[in-house]
Amino acid sequence: MENISFRTTVLPLSDKLFRLALRITMNKAEAEDVVQDTLLKVWEHREEWEQINNLEAFAIATCRNRALDVMKRAGRNTEKLDEMAHFSSQTPQEQLEANEQISLVNRLMDDLPEVQRTIMLLRDIEGKTYQEIAQTLDISETQVKVYLHRARTKIKERIWTINT
Amino acid sequence: MDYKYIEQLLERYWECQTTLEEEAILRNFFRQEDVPASLLPYRQFFNEQDEMSEEHLGKDFADKMLRLVGEETPVHVCKARRLTFMRRLRPFYRAAGLIAILLTIGNAAHQSFSEDEDIADNQQMAESIAADSLQQITIGQPEQQSAELTKQPIDTINTLPR
Repeated sequence: MENISFRTTVLPLSDKLFRLALRITMNKAEAEDVVQDTLLKVWEHREEWEQINNLEAFAIATCRNRALDVMKRAGRNTEKLDEMAHFSSQTPQEQLEANEQISLVNRLMDDLPEVQRTIMLLRDIEGKTYQEIAQTLDISETQVKVYLHRARTKIKERIWTINT
Repeated sequence: MDYKYIEQLLERYWECQTTLEEEAILRNFFRQEDVPASLLPYRQFFNEQDEMSEEHLGKDFADKMLRLVGEETPVHVCKARRLTFMRRLRPFYRAAGLIAILLTIGNAAHQSFSEDEDIADNQQMAESIAADSLQQITIGQPEQQSAELTKQPIDTINTLPR
């Protein structure tokens, strides 16, 4: 790798990391903190940047682990996230209205296990290949396809349920 | 319109058999207004994937990160310098100096050529003066001697082998 710098190589990953952290924490402020911690962690490893095969995969993996840590420390279940937790002070009517505004994708992904959600995000939102996802999550390509297939099957079923 | 291709792509999408390019075709298809009723339930799902890919952090996040790692955003400062009158004329001085040097070299070259010509003229002049002087001398001598003197070179010339 050539000419790696924080400004030109690491910082441009911020939005990508933010989307991943947001899918896991479901909270913008927390997701931003996770991205900040992730970038600082990557910065701490700057002496090893030349040796790291794929800096982006390293940053994504670090971000995912950091987001999962945050969820674990807060005692929140990463397998089924309650996106409405921060609306708890609202009235039932307000909560219902807010719930309607939540995107369909978020609602559909809500019940998916974290690994399936992350793989769906990396494939469908970030446009990563199976190989890149496998490298990032340190699993095989076959496993990536199995998880993604499970996720998409559930999403398809839910779309059918909603529309019938 | 035949949507068979899209329907096939969609089926392959759920089965994880589509390439990234084919998935992009699906997203492009669902962006349009005219989507058949049979495919309508999936439109929102694909459109929201587009929207999600545009979620980003605030503008000041990058500045905050650069501050934290000690890499400030470079600010391009244009330093305004006050130029004195003499400093403003500096290019003209330089041009004038250059012209003066060129003129000096030109003059020197011209002068050296002229001197060569003068030397050549002087040589010619000296030769003609010498010839005149010789003639004067011969005029001053007796006629015979003079004739001999004047004839000698002619004879010499005539005796030269041809």
